[in-house]
Amino acid sequence: MATTALAITTRDLRRVRRQPSRLLGGVARPFVWLLLVATGYNSIAQLPSGIPYREFVYPGVLVMACLFGGALTAVSTVYDREFGMLRLMLASPAGSGAVLLGRTLSATVMGVTQALVVLGAAPFIVDVSPTRLLLVFGALVIASAVSAVLGLMVASRLRSVENFAGIINVLLFPLLFLSGALYPAARLPRPLALFASVNPVTHMVELVRRALGQSTEFPLAMNVAVLAGTAVTAFALAAVFFDPEARLIGRTRPARATGAS
Amino acid sequence: MSTPAIEATGLGRDYGEVRALEALDLVVPSGALVGLLGPNGAGKTTAMLLLATLLAPSRGHARIFGHDVVRDRRSARRRLGLVFQEPTVDPFLTVRENLEFAAGMAGVSRRDTRAVVDGALERMGLGPRASQLARELSGGWRRLADIARATLHGPALLILDEPTVGLDPEHRERLWSFLDSERRARGAAVLFSTHYLDEAEPADRVLMLAKGRVVADGTPRDLLAPFGDAVLEVEGPGAASFASALQGDGHAKIVVPSEGAVRIGLDGRKEHALERAAGAAGLTRSVLRAPTLEDAYFARTGARVAT
Repeated sequence: MATTALAITTRDLRRVRRQPSRLLGGVARPFVWLLLVATGYNSIAQLPSGIPYREFVYPGVLVMACLFGGALTAVSTVYDREFGMLRLMLASPAGSGAVLLGRTLSATVMGVTQALVVLGAAPFIVDVSPTRLLLVFGALVIASAVSAVLGLMVASRLRSVENFAGIINVLLFPLLFLSGALYPAARLPRPLALFASVNPVTHMVELVRRALGQSTEFPLAMNVAVLAGTAVTAFALAAVFFDPEARLIGRTRPARATGAS
Repeated sequence: MSTPAIEATGLGRDYGEVRALEALDLVVPSGALVGLLGPNGAGKTTAMLLLATLLAPSRGHARIFGHDVVRDRRSARRRLGLVFQEPTVDPFLTVRENLEFAAGMAGVSRRDTRAVVDGALERMGLGPRASQLARELSGGWRRLADIARATLHGPALLILDEPTVGLDPEHRERLWSFLDSERRARGAAVLFSTHYLDEAEPADRVLMLAKGRVVADGTPRDLLAPFGDAVLEVEGPGAASFASALQGDGHAKIVVPSEGAVRIGLDGRKEHALERAAGAAGLTRSVLRAPTLEDAYFARTGARVAT
């Protein structure tokens, strides 16, 4: 299983190396937010903690890199299904579990890589020690891994790249906006605050805030519980949707992805 | 006697109300070459996906070298090499990288990967193209890379769905001679589907499918036997009455009406039949030729294989 998962990860990273625009596009998004939104609001935003808005929003921008980098990498799975490669992968002796594991690994690497580029700007935005940077790195790995699994869960049901791009953006932006990344979640109306408290992105941002020494809204145990619960649930759902028998039994006509005749 | 590569009994699959494959009974011994023939929608791909462990059967069961395709999928998959209709090489990877990926998917250890990939490149004549991106290859070479991908781990059973679609004669020849060497050198069994009926003639066994049912099953020789030594194909408004007359005189073994023409399997005296056709009224064309599997398929279904 490990050999197969590593083969998938290696393939995905080789593909990214041949398409550097994917990586550049992923890195550009958080920097645009950092420059345009953080700089613009820095002069007018008044936060309860008293820290400048640019420092407040920085953990959210780091998580944005993980979230989009990790989740959007799952598009490879949709691409592979659309072009028949996924069938070959599912026919491997290691099965769908290895495919999901390999894809999670590669998406995590993508999320962390993009976030590390954004982390390179840390000395210009926050005062942070090397020890805290290590903690931030750990938080980014966790955030990317959970994002990767969320992306896979969405990808496991979809059959076209266009659908995936549309749906994933519709899902990711609300998750980001209602996470306390851009403004404190406690100030949201009650139903939205309730959603924010169980939103996994909220807890990704909280982990990064903790690592940077910023104040947080929820206890660490809750951060860990929500993220672990999300990862396990999303991975399990992805595994169920991924299984070809589970997907195909009961279909009314041959599926395009199977090419059955 | 060794365990057969494939044992299928009553194997079938439905998609809701659509019965894609009725019931397939098939035994393929090690080293055998078996062809599945039929037009699109006949059930060939469904049969192959069931045997490849990628679809769950709605009825019946199948074993690959004794491993059940549902209960023991992993063991069955270790013996399989698969080639699908769509080429499954990644256009953004080099040929070597594609094969390294395939080795990982087949569970080949990292230590053995280099030797396994080098062997596959050499056997398929892909060595000079190893560093080329797959998207830069011609369709023929891409297909050969696909075959190298499917065979690099030495599978004992190859399942090939339309492997020669879109290939020029040179690449088709290269592919079939490679598969022949796999059978001779390693005793690998090969199950394939094709639209090119001449490709099925060297097969040990041929199954003809139509609308999910097996309509003929036998060696090519058995399937061609009803047509005798030669087929006289005649066209024109008088074709049917000419064929009836020939049959009435005992010269025709079988008469098969087909798309404006009539195919007549001759019981010897073929020159005599051709002379009669030349003098017959209402015939616009008459051709004498060897029987083909297309004739056998038409006799059973009234349709062509290649649609």
